[in-house]
Formats: sequence, C-alpha cells, structure tokens
Amino acid sequence: MRREHFGERVTGTVYTETVVHLAPEAFAKDVPYQVVIVTLEDGTRITGRMVDDRVSIGDPVERVDVHDEVPFFQKAPSQLT
Amino acid sequence: MRPVAVIAAGKTRFGAFPDRDLRSLAVEAGEKCLKNGHVSPSQVEAFYLGNFAGPSFTGQNHLAPYISTALGILDVPATRFEAACASSGSAFFHAFSAVASGLHDFVMVAGVEKMTSRPTARVTEILAGAGDCAGEIKAGSTFPSLFAMIARRHMYQFGTTREQLAAVAVKNHANGALNPDAHMRKVITMEQALNARPVAEPLGVYDCSLISDGAAAVILAPADRARDFTSKPVRILGVAQASDFVALDQKPDITMFPAVRRAAQKAYEMAGVGPRDIQFAEVHDCFTIAEIVALEDLGFIEKGCGGPYETSGATARTGEKPINASGGLKAKGHPVGATGVAQICDLFAQIRCEAGEMQLKRNALGLAQNLGGSGATCVVSILGNV
Repeated sequence: MRREHFGERVTGTVYTETVVHLAPEAFAKDVPYQVVIVTLEDGTRITGRMVDDRVSIGDPVERVDVHDEVPFFQKAPSQLT
Repeated sequence: MRPVAVIAAGKTRFGAFPDRDLRSLAVEAGEKCLKNGHVSPSQVEAFYLGNFAGPSFTGQNHLAPYISTALGILDVPATRFEAACASSGSAFFHAFSAVASGLHDFVMVAGVEKMTSRPTARVTEILAGAGDCAGEIKAGSTFPSLFAMIARRHMYQFGTTREQLAAVAVKNHANGALNPDAHMRKVITMEQALNARPVAEPLGVYDCSLISDGAAAVILAPADRARDFTSKPVRILGVAQASDFVALDQKPDITMFPAVRRAAQKAYEMAGVGPRDIQFAEVHDCFTIAEIVALEDLGFIEKGCGGPYETSGATARTGEKPINASGGLKAKGHPVGATGVAQICDLFAQIRCEAGEMQLKRNALGLAQNLGGSGATCVVSILGNV
C-alpha cells in the first residue's frame, strides 16, 4: 500500500508528532529528531521522519525522500498545497 | 462457567537487581505464592507464564518449564504467553478460562521480566519490538515516542496540559513511597516532574515508567474449593482480553484505546457492575498519558476529561477513585512481563486488607487494567470480596 506513493508527489497534514531525545543505538546519531504521523491526502496515515524542520499538528508537509521504506518529510508551504 | 477465585499471591520486590537472574526472581515469587496459599507444588495442575522478552534480555528461551520445574511443579502443561506489556495479564485471562471451564482446578499464573542486564539504548530497542517493526519503529519511533504522540494529540484535541501529565507522576510517586516493594520510593514535586530531562517531547523522564526486574505469581482455584486453602479468597468477578492494531498509524483515533474499551465492557458485563461501582483501580501507567487515557477508556470519567480529573485529587489515595495506590508502573516499577499479575497481587492485598501503609478504606471492588504495546492488547480484570 505504501509503495504506490513512491515516485509521485506525496503531501499530507501532520496528525501528531514528537521530538525524540532518547533513541535506540541505530538512531542515536540522529537525536534529537522528529517523528511524525502524517495523514495523506487519501486519508491513510503513515509514520515518517522530518528532515530537519520542526512541525506541529495540522502543519502541511511533503515527502522529500524515502530511506529503507521510511518516508522523510519537510514542511510544505500551505499556500501551494 | 463456574466461579473462580484467587487463593494465593506472592511477588518479589521490584527494582534493579544485578545479582539476580530471571529464574531466581520467578522462583521467589512462585514459592512465596505457594506458601501464602498453603498449596504444594504437586497440587498445581497447570503453569501459565507471562513474559515479554526473556530471550532478548537474557538469551534464555523455553521459559515456562524452565521456571515451573524449578518450583517443583512437574509434568503439567507449562506455557509462556507473550503480549508485550500485557503478557501476564493475558496469561491470567487464559488461566481463568481453564479453571472456569473445569479443565483444571488449581493453576499458577506467574509473570517475570529481567530487564536491567542491558544498557538503556538496548532496552529501548527490545521494547520497540512490541510496535510495528516494519513501519513506525523503522522510522525511529520508540515506546516513549509513541505515547508522546498520543499525548500531543490528546493535548491538541482536549486541552490536556503538561501539568496534568506531571500530576500523574507526582501522585504515583507519592503512592509508591508507601510501598515497601516499590522500585522507586521517592516523592517528587511538580517542578521536578515538569523540568525533567526530555525523553520524547512532551514526555520527560518522570512521565515514563521504570526499567525494572521483578516477578509476581497468583494461584487460581474454583470458588467452591477456595476455602480449603484460605479464609479470605478473592473472587474474579470479571475478566476479558481484547485486541487492536499494533501500529499506532493504523488507529483511526489515537486518543483512545478500543481494546481497553472492549475489554472493560466485557469485564463489567461479566461482573454485573459498572465503572461507578469500582472502588479503586490499578491501571497501566507505562507513561503518564496512559493513565489519563485509561481513566477515560474505563469509563471513570468522560473522554477528554482525564487530565482535569487527575488534578482534582479524585485519583489520589484519599480521593473518590484511588488509582494506582501501589505507585503504579511509574513508581512501583514495570518489569513488563510481571506487571499484569503484579496488579492482581495488589488488588488481592487491598481486598484482603493486607496492603499495609497502602491500605485503602474502600477496598471491596477493584479493577486492574493491563495494556500491551500502544494498545494492541488489553486485559481488564475485576476482583472483589467473595
């Protein structure tokens, strides 16, 4: 299901978020990092990471990268979405 | 179904015990339990073990017979149940089913976890195995972060505040200070809770339960045989288990746990009581937000009002609905596989007026809520005077 979004422009709205300070070893080099659950335009939700911007609930975001099936988002200018 | 009672309970202290291994903890709890109920190992007809991640934490697998035989419980079915933090709650539900159905008369349900043998980063990684490893965990979610995202959404939708979260920690630490078996017997202030080191925003260190070692055990029996063993058996009036999606991003509304609501509804129906009748409860406060959501899902307060209910004092020892008089997972400790049965031990002690300094005045009808993962399993049990 998630794969069919790959390659297209993927945008959505932040449903919830957190900034992680204490992480397992695999992610320790990234802290603090922001995890988001994004509601995509088709209504489905996906968990991903913010590249470096900080966002709040309700903020528009767009997918800018996919690493190992994990979507990375950045803030989208709301007037353009 | 025939009526079932808890006739004995035993548990270890919870804490960090570098010199103790998993089996010795479980054996200590099991032996205390056998002694408490004057039950001999040869009378036990089945052994149900709750354990989340013994193989990852300690390298040992095949844990149920590994422990039952060390207790002298030989030949009988010995089975491990894994349902994340609800592992021993699930073992308790299935043990109840076996006795209620008449399959067995006397069964032991134990729970154990040995967590402190690993560094915190590795513990975080092992605990993350209770989430969706192909999705949310791969994205860098940890258990604190999943509950942090629940907290953020609860705050957004209902105006829940950091102070209301902190109030849960302050209350449960105050309760835990009265519990001689608690991992952390330390009173904390609101300022300490609010200014704690962040783990996953908005949750700080004091919003999170403890990484603990410990074990707990109970023995179940048909109610009509219970008085052969004890003058104070405690009836299991209702117990139910329910399930839901493992991944948080699959839930339509993360500010509530449907599995808690379903399990609670079934347990209330079985017991013939409602949320207002419950006099006290041990709920699964793995994180402060989890207690607030539990109060709402169990029907103690309307959805969205859990935060103000906590700061009103209603959930304190002296309040109308004492919650986590033991100190909860927050202060008593959270050896994950032991937690569900430990809650039953706490109810058992309260109902029998054996809770020492923790003893509550209104103690006839108690509820335990044991949650697995971010709500994929829930077991709700209602215990009362026979």
